Amino acid sequence: MNSNSRKVRINKAILYLVLSLGSVLMLLPFFWMISTALKPDNAIFTVPIQWFPQTLYLNNFIRAMEVVPIMRYMFNTFLIAALKIFGEVFVSALVAYGFARFNFKYKNILFMVLLATMMLPYEVTMIPTFIIWSRLGFADSYVPLILPAYFGSASFIFFLRMYFQTYPKELEESALIDGASYLQIFIRIFVPLSKAALMTIGMWSFMGTWNDLLGQLIYINSPEKYTIQLGLASFSNMTGETLWGPLMAASFIALIPVILILLFAQRYFTEGVKMSGIKG
Amino acid sequence: MPKQKVGFYFILPWLVGLIAFTIVPMLIALYISMTNWSIIGSAEFVGLANFKRIFEEGMFYETLWITVRYALLAVPMTIATAFIVAIFLNNNLRFIGIYRTIFYMPAIVSGVAVAIVFKWVLDPNYGVINSLLANFGIDGPNWLYDPNWVLPSYLIMAVWGASGGLLTYLVGLKDIPRSLYESADLDGANFLQKVRHVTMPMMTPIIFYNMIMGIIGAFRKFTDAYVLGGAGNQGKFYMVYLYEEAFAFYNMGYATALAWVLFVIILTLTIIINISKKYWVHT
Amino acid sequence: MKLKGLALCLLTLMVITACGTTNSGNNENEFIFATWAAGEELQEFEEIINQVNENADGEYTVKALSIPSDYYIKLATQISSNNAPDFFWMTQELISRYANLGAITDLTEKLEQSEQLTPDLFYDGVLASATYEDRYYGVPWIANPLMIYYNKDLFDQEGIDHPSPTDPWTWDEFIEVAKELTVIKQDGNGNDYQQFGTVVDGWPNIETFMWAGGGDIIAEDGEDILIDSAESLEGLSILNEILTSGITPSYAQVSSLGSNNVWFEKQRAAMFMGGIQDNFEEKMTRWEEEEQFEIGYTPMPVGQDGEAYAFNWTASTVMSIDQAENPLAYQALEDITLEFFKWKVASPLEGQVERVVEIDPHKEEALETIEQSLLIARSANYIPEWDVINNRLWVDLYTGMLNAPESFDYEAMAKEIADFARNEINKR
Repeated sequence: MNSNSRKVRINKAILYLVLSLGSVLMLLPFFWMISTALKPDNAIFTVPIQWFPQTLYLNNFIRAMEVVPIMRYMFNTFLIAALKIFGEVFVSALVAYGFARFNFKYKNILFMVLLATMMLPYEVTMIPTFIIWSRLGFADSYVPLILPAYFGSASFIFFLRMYFQTYPKELEESALIDGASYLQIFIRIFVPLSKAALMTIGMWSFMGTWNDLLGQLIYINSPEKYTIQLGLASFSNMTGETLWGPLMAASFIALIPVILILLFAQRYFTEGVKMSGIKG
Repeated sequence: MPKQKVGFYFILPWLVGLIAFTIVPMLIALYISMTNWSIIGSAEFVGLANFKRIFEEGMFYETLWITVRYALLAVPMTIATAFIVAIFLNNNLRFIGIYRTIFYMPAIVSGVAVAIVFKWVLDPNYGVINSLLANFGIDGPNWLYDPNWVLPSYLIMAVWGASGGLLTYLVGLKDIPRSLYESADLDGANFLQKVRHVTMPMMTPIIFYNMIMGIIGAFRKFTDAYVLGGAGNQGKFYMVYLYEEAFAFYNMGYATALAWVLFVIILTLTIIINISKKYWVHT
Repeated sequence: MKLKGLALCLLTLMVITACGTTNSGNNENEFIFATWAAGEELQEFEEIINQVNENADGEYTVKALSIPSDYYIKLATQISSNNAPDFFWMTQELISRYANLGAITDLTEKLEQSEQLTPDLFYDGVLASATYEDRYYGVPWIANPLMIYYNKDLFDQEGIDHPSPTDPWTWDEFIEVAKELTVIKQDGNGNDYQQFGTVVDGWPNIETFMWAGGGDIIAEDGEDILIDSAESLEGLSILNEILTSGITPSYAQVSSLGSNNVWFEKQRAAMFMGGIQDNFEEKMTRWEEEEQFEIGYTPMPVGQDGEAYAFNWTASTVMSIDQAENPLAYQALEDITLEFFKWKVASPLEGQVERVVEIDPHKEEALETIEQSLLIARSANYIPEWDVINNRLWVDLYTGMLNAPESFDYEAMAKEIADFARNEINKR
């Protein structure tokens, strides 16, 4: 027993070591971001690269706020993300449930169509889509960015369908005997069981909004409606000249809420003791 | 049992959205691919001329070949990396939440930021990798500037960013019943045997998902390839070619035709994988 | 039910956001001006627009539309959906294409009949950059020709005479001086580093070198391709000599300092071919004292044909075709342009060099060279097919030369691209 617990401890130590080394690699770009944000202009590009700033130069943060109303843009992005996320997650789950747990005519063909919609590059449908929205009178509005989310997202549906398919048939059969409707089964059984999966696509939905530059650029005209990515783009000019210090400072500020959300969401990925045993 | 119809009602929202937001632009795109539309001017119908031109252009074959090679290597590499990392992260150690967050962070920064940082990491003179190699007396390659090293450079980036699929594996691992591992323990299985015979089969649906999404992603690889450039045409991916035709040269008709050819390629691959599914995906 | 309540709340929110969008009514006297200015530049731009609106006193109003990224994609999208901005900025090489596609207004008559802003006010070369088939399609608002910035301290250390601020070197002389400046130096920590004579990394552009040999890409008639002419090849051999003689850091090396201008700023390269508006002088005021140095100026070298040319980066304001019949629109365009000339930028107006110093006092020392550079400034002869041809010149020719200067057969590639270009022209 003693040697066994020692073995466990060594295993743990190795695990921590590997994870820590990996973390360093993962954090490298973020480290560079923060380090650049804290450097004056002429200390950013040096030979050889200066990993640690020599002094703490906070001016970049002040300048970043002067150049671009970051807080306002973050609020706008949050607004879009919040309006989108519910529809995108809930409707995608609903549709995925339909594809995963039922058999109906043309199901496989329709599912292939669903997959196919992801395969045509957005770049070529972007302009036709824009023209349609602007004919409908939605120029300079968030609606074209939000409304489609309420009809589900193909990649989310695909993921959840695969996930729902792994549950055993008995799951709904017993509920049906108790007189539950399919919608009730979906909301009372499948949604709670799939919290981690739903959390995952919730994260994706949020990240999709947070990192979308082209869509927001095309649809939004008024500066007061700008989003964080449009704000970050404002630090580079047409000739490719970039205000690196303020840009990295602003990027850092924009990253904080995302990391907080991640830290909050990751606990749903911990092994669920309660639910194990149901699947398989 | 009216089970069939019920399923149809569940997918109805998507179907409505498909007709309202997706099919129409796609049909328009199909028409555009048969015109010489230049975005700002009027469009003239040219029939299949754009498609004919595609197969006559050397650039089509070059960029497609680069993209195919990248996809063939990057998809398995990223799947393996994310899978292994997920196994490491699937435990209840202290601080594991922080590690999970850190390992997922590459997925939350946009492609441009990653590209800029990798320009530094892969810098031939002062980059992290070549500095490390220099410590061992190895003269590192020119990476993004050397036609022979462009592909490995992008693969390094892909593996670094593999954590995009991390959450899906974590979700899957979390749901593998403990009892399966316990019975494997009773059979005296070691760690690797458990991964091989318990974890892997249970994860095949998720691997299948990541494979399809990986192929779509690899063939549509754009942002970092566009930002980095470097070795001229040797680093030009299919989407970069398409993008330049569309937005730098205003050949939207031709670019849209390119998009449809890409569509057919990805669709064919997906159908093949989908057929193969029954041989290896555990349900 | 909770879910329903939440859904209802969201729906209401969406309706509110939807209603909040005012459909910008296209009144006769309301104009949208699209600009790539963003951040600090946008704040300045908006001040100008406000000034113009104030002066117009209600006759018309102009609103800025800032496009901080992917400028031409958004622009093309707006145009294709009949939402074209009334005015927008456009760099020189695209004007002929947009004119050819009928998206922008021919301004020739309006400019010629104008009282305040007539064609003869501009430098010829600058106005030429806004023409297509001898008609004016844009009003230039910025002209930024190249000149050579040099580090006086580094010249003194090698005992090299300072060049004249107005008399150019020949390219051979330039290369000789650069060779003398390419030496091993020691930094503060006693480590050796290579100091280079200059930086060439795709900048200056390929035209600069073709002109240096007396050649060009496209003849003035907009039809003859000159890429493979003896003169152009001669020019490419000058570029090749620069790339092979070790006077510039290698292509793969340049980006290790972020971008080419940093090599000059960090005193790792003694000479830099930059636009007259590059703000080294102003930047330097914010550096530590030991990092500062004295900057000198000389015009771009004279070519093999005895002519000196400074590539001129220009941009114009163009007017949407939708406003072609609206005299008020042209009035607004003219008013805005006149305000632009008071901006921080070097105006493209002939004989007004002094304004550069008024706008940026740091440029006092450079004035003579700037004046000379504006006189020899020129753009390429742009045609609608420019992007396709130029893209091949960059990707296949210039990048090839940069990546393998010793072995790349640039003459063969120049011939190949010339044939390609002729083929493109024949498609017309």
